[in-house]
Amino acid sequence: MIRNSELWGGLFWLAIGAFVVWAGREMGLGRLHEPGPGFAFFWIGLLMSALSLGIVGQALVSGGPPLSSLWAGTRWGKVLVVTGLLLIYGVGFEAIGFIPCTLALLLVLMWFVDPVDWWLAPIIAVAATFGVWAAMTKWLKIQLPAGIMAGILG
Amino acid sequence: MDILAGLGQGFAVALQPINLLYCFIGVFIGTLVGVLPGIGPVSAMSLLLPVTLSGTPESGIIMMAGIYYGSMYGGSTTSILVNIPGEAASVVTCLDGHAMAKQGRAGPALGIAALGSFAAGTFAIVALMLVAPTLARVAIAFGPPEYFSLMVLGLTILSFLSQGSMAKALLMAAFGILLGLIGMDQITAQARLTFDRLELLDGIGLVPVVMGLFGVAEILSNLERELKREVIQARIGGLWPSLADWAAAKWAVLRGTVLGFFLGILPGGGAVIASFASYALEKKISRTPERFGKGAIEGVAGPEAANNAAAGGAFIPLMTLGIPPNVVMALLLGAFIIHGLQPGPLLMTQKPDLFWGIVASMYIGNAMLLVLNMPLIGMWVQVLKLPYRVLFPLILMFCVVGVFASGNAVFDVFVMVMFGVLGYLMRKFGYEPAPLVLAFVLGPMLENNLRKSLILSHGDFTIFIERPISATCLVLAAVALAAPLLPALARRRARVAMDQT
Repeated sequence: MIRNSELWGGLFWLAIGAFVVWAGREMGLGRLHEPGPGFAFFWIGLLMSALSLGIVGQALVSGGPPLSSLWAGTRWGKVLVVTGLLLIYGVGFEAIGFIPCTLALLLVLMWFVDPVDWWLAPIIAVAATFGVWAAMTKWLKIQLPAGIMAGILG
Repeated sequence: MDILAGLGQGFAVALQPINLLYCFIGVFIGTLVGVLPGIGPVSAMSLLLPVTLSGTPESGIIMMAGIYYGSMYGGSTTSILVNIPGEAASVVTCLDGHAMAKQGRAGPALGIAALGSFAAGTFAIVALMLVAPTLARVAIAFGPPEYFSLMVLGLTILSFLSQGSMAKALLMAAFGILLGLIGMDQITAQARLTFDRLELLDGIGLVPVVMGLFGVAEILSNLERELKREVIQARIGGLWPSLADWAAAKWAVLRGTVLGFFLGILPGGGAVIASFASYALEKKISRTPERFGKGAIEGVAGPEAANNAAAGGAFIPLMTLGIPPNVVMALLLGAFIIHGLQPGPLLMTQKPDLFWGIVASMYIGNAMLLVLNMPLIGMWVQVLKLPYRVLFPLILMFCVVGVFASGNAVFDVFVMVMFGVLGYLMRKFGYEPAPLVLAFVLGPMLENNLRKSLILSHGDFTIFIERPISATCLVLAAVALAAPLLPALARRRARVAMDQT
């Protein structure tokens, strides 16, 4: 039972529902003829809690697939790596700049995460990065962070 | 006469060179994302939402609309040639389309899909043109209770038609409303669930949420399993269907068109449902249902016509009531709002050039699509041969750039990654993202209309059942909610859900 994925899913949403009920009350429910800012939150939180309890109840009665089966035979490591890379990319995006960050991201993805021919990766990475940078900044006039290349790019 | 004058005004707008260019870009990108598995119209539209800022509202919305109906055309190519649907509305086309391709009849399958889509798309535009002005006049009488109940109905139907558990779909809709309400309260200006983050005072952006749930989550899901694509290698040959093909397909196209159009108008309905309903209908009324799944041309013609007609029909609730019936229309609503426009009954009178310009551009876009899909099919086949390991890093890059450009804030990139992981886990645990996104867009309107209704009625909830339109919507929503409790309806719903998986 403790490994039941449906149960854990239901409990997760139950916790969010309960938090929203509490937050709604804190914001102020107001009165029926003049609902306050927390009115909708409170009722939505109650609805979420009720639906989650239904899912938890169903999981307790009928069971569900074990958590481990959801990832059995999958390449889940790639998911973790890509998520991590995106977070690192986000951290460096403004300080280091769009061009170096994007070049690095594309090269790592195409060399190590799901490899393509080693000579093809830099061609695609350079063409895509500079192509997008030119289209965004020159054509669409949308500024992307220059970062460490601010001096070169002007 | 008003309609003809309006249409004339619309063509004057749509035929401006810049709008023709945007229309072409829209249908081209739409066909491309329809062809490519792993990126759909929702991701493409949210990606390009910031781009619409650089032009006039007409140009931006014409392009966004083009992406939507263009993707309906392009989706069939992948279904027929690779047996992988380019987007959800073409799932059912795989069954008979790919079977035809394996029998060496890929040409007629692609041809009937393109011609059926063109016929249905054109019908939907004519119907949109005729129905929208009348509905807009009726919609002027809508007050807050009617809007509230209509939105409740839309969310309930979408949850009813979602795959798998209805409780999970409703839960996602509730969570979507909650996310939509984060930020400053419209009435009291009180910060709500912002956790002292200045970036959240204006609420969570639509683009990072959609790009995360549909773009990043799709990539993460695809990465963990090997995507095997086997493009039909044989020569595609003549695309023009034979006389016998026409005879077999013509009624399927007609039925698919009418059915798809009406399912497209329904709140919560859309192209996916329409294509499945059309396939089921064709199989049911066929004298030789055993041919379905083995290369029956009706199984391609009907659903392809239906999904295109539904794509056209879906514009009606958005343009006349200001309520998006599905996720794609919710994004289009976002495009209107970015430009300071509010679609609804007054759009036709206050901005007739915009309304009729969009309608006229759809005629032009449909003709462009026929040209793109018939002679250029070879080019799309080449695109299909691009390996996913080359595509996904580029899609990720476009996601990041699109999200950053939408708000000029790195915070949005983190929001996108967070929703990407959430969307990936939601797929794993069987929770659908579509009700969440539609509810996210409708959330603020829903709350606003609820509060206004209660203020109007001095806190009396009977205001929602005293008004006929509102009461009808709520009764229909209650029927949809009670449906899983009725064995016959529950079985039918389960069958639809199973068909979709």
